Amino acid sequence: MEKLNITLYRFDPSCDSEPRLQSYDIKPDGPLSVLQAIRHVYHKVDGTLSFRNSDCRRGVCGICSMMINGRRQLTCMCLATDGMTVEPPPNRTVVKDLVFETD
Amino acid sequence: MTPEKAKRTIETDVLVIGGGGGGLRAAVAAHTAGARVLVLSKGIVGKSGLTQTAVTGFQVAFGYADPRDNPEVHYGDSIRGGYGLADPDLARIFCDEAIAAVEDIEAFGARFDREENGNLIQRKLDSSQTYPRSIKKGDSLGTPIMQALRREMNKREIPRMHEILVTKLLKDGDKVCGAIALDFQKGEIIEFRAGSIVMATGGAGELFPVHSNTPDSTGDGYALALNAGADLVDIEFLLMLGHAVLHPATVRGVLFTFQYLLTKGAKPLFNSEGNSFLSNYDPEGSDNPARHIYARAIYGEVRAGRGSPHGGAFFDPGSVSRDTLMGSLPSQTKYLESFGVDITKPIEVGAAAHYVCGGIKINTQSQSTVPGLFAVGECSGGPHGAGRIGGNSLTEILVFGKRAGAEAAAFANVKSPGAPDSDEVLSEANRVTSYLSRKRTGERPNVIKARLQKLMNDYVGVVRNEEGLLNTIAEFERMEREDLPAMSIAEDNRIGNYDWIEALEVTAMTGFARAMAGAALLRTESRGAHYREDYPDLDDKNWLQNILIRRTGNTDALDFKTNECKPGPEYTAARAEAK
Repeated sequence: MEKLNITLYRFDPSCDSEPRLQSYDIKPDGPLSVLQAIRHVYHKVDGTLSFRNSDCRRGVCGICSMMINGRRQLTCMCLATDGMTVEPPPNRTVVKDLVFETD
Repeated sequence: MTPEKAKRTIETDVLVIGGGGGGLRAAVAAHTAGARVLVLSKGIVGKSGLTQTAVTGFQVAFGYADPRDNPEVHYGDSIRGGYGLADPDLARIFCDEAIAAVEDIEAFGARFDREENGNLIQRKLDSSQTYPRSIKKGDSLGTPIMQALRREMNKREIPRMHEILVTKLLKDGDKVCGAIALDFQKGEIIEFRAGSIVMATGGAGELFPVHSNTPDSTGDGYALALNAGADLVDIEFLLMLGHAVLHPATVRGVLFTFQYLLTKGAKPLFNSEGNSFLSNYDPEGSDNPARHIYARAIYGEVRAGRGSPHGGAFFDPGSVSRDTLMGSLPSQTKYLESFGVDITKPIEVGAAAHYVCGGIKINTQSQSTVPGLFAVGECSGGPHGAGRIGGNSLTEILVFGKRAGAEAAAFANVKSPGAPDSDEVLSEANRVTSYLSRKRTGERPNVIKARLQKLMNDYVGVVRNEEGLLNTIAEFERMEREDLPAMSIAEDNRIGNYDWIEALEVTAMTGFARAMAGAALLRTESRGAHYREDYPDLDDKNWLQNILIRRTGNTDALDFKTNECKPGPEYTAARAEAK
């Protein structure tokens, strides 16, 4: 598969004054869901990224719901696409990066 | 580094570890009994866990679909499906109490599919059921159960804490008195004090590269219980299914339950040469065999060089039409189609770890061999024996969840809470936080996890043999001596540090993997979900025995012993018939 560029929301309230967007290039073996792409970044590129790993990965639990290119969707149910941006939902207290206060 | 202390101490009567269906049912029952309850989950209480993903059905012998069905027949099916090793008293309980369990969950607001006359619809999933017995809700049975339990939790305002990973159970003398845990969001160590504890920590699919579980099913509960001195039982019986989708990777491991929709005579799978093969592997010669035979058959074809490109076989779309799939499995079908799977073309399916049939050995009170430590659901062992028939796990969590909660409340009410050894608390807090100060030069947890998963897949999965198991156990011991002490995490930030969590999980996984491989080595026969190619036959003369595992004193070594099981006439009659 071709190179995939994805941009993820980063914010550590203990040291950052402002959130920032960080861009990553990954080269997966094949198509990934957005959730798998986040895991790929975490395991292969940047271990300082915070995310949740207790989801059902099949569209039932809703834990992985985030803003993909500005629209709230389940990251386990969407294909990762080149140039996409993933952020926590607005108006949520962010614990760190992609970990935020739940519903 | 300054010595780490628990940041907070939290007290309760009953501490429930795990926020899936079994944990919530236990919490509600303990609350009904008047106990103060606290539910912990390493994910989100009520949203994480595997219960919600349940698709097909659960077995309750109402006898609506066939008046000949009753709890006695259900019991016989369960004993036969457990290949004679289910604890007869426990199997009896969940068959006898299943109807009341459904009435309870309906009283909490769950609704299941009914006939026009108001009776619950009951279907026969496969040959393990004598009569149609499985009740359902569309193709998403777990959803109404979890919704009802969440509603009940909220109505009763039962306290809960999310994203808390328990790392050690604490004892006062022989009995449990609390736990140490890491708070993922805050990065703090918490000490819990409790009169009793209910383990509802689920299974261990993540020990394998392909599994049907949630990604956090890392078997923590088994390792916690072992370390607390409890017995595990029947853990060599790892149910591998053969109908998980293997390709594309986006949907890898998700179950595609076509086998419940096959008409008589259908041949659902073919190999790379275009030939059907399931009947060659089934003792009864069926092309829709018992579910654990699917994985073994696919493994045989792959090893003979007739596998699909991703190590499986092909589902034949001619055996079940898209209309049938959309009618009976709309959620699964739409999910697969949303990732580009063409349901009318051959689909690669193969083995996925699904369910640990054994676990923390429980008695009829759902209590482990450690006083005050209870267990429910997949992490518990005894009710199923050597195999679990489809649809019995939801029955089990509802029946034993209620028991475990009520009994844990009664235990906490009678016994004084007790206090842990303060040195033990300090030493565990320092073990957990030591990862933060480790050098950054070692392998990260996911690298070690991948090594463990490959070993489990190759030697402790569908087909096992002595040489493979011996080498694997030696390798796990080497990993515990070398890899785990050298493991490092990506950063020392305490907040939301998943590498830290994963390091603790991988440590627990390795201990449990070694126990599972050890039990598989000891059992020199093939029975139910356990298959030894060097001992391919079922051996009732020597092996109507449960294998019990306990840690040796306070060391990491394990004691294995066998205990005779007397399955009764339901099993012996079935065996006589098979011969």
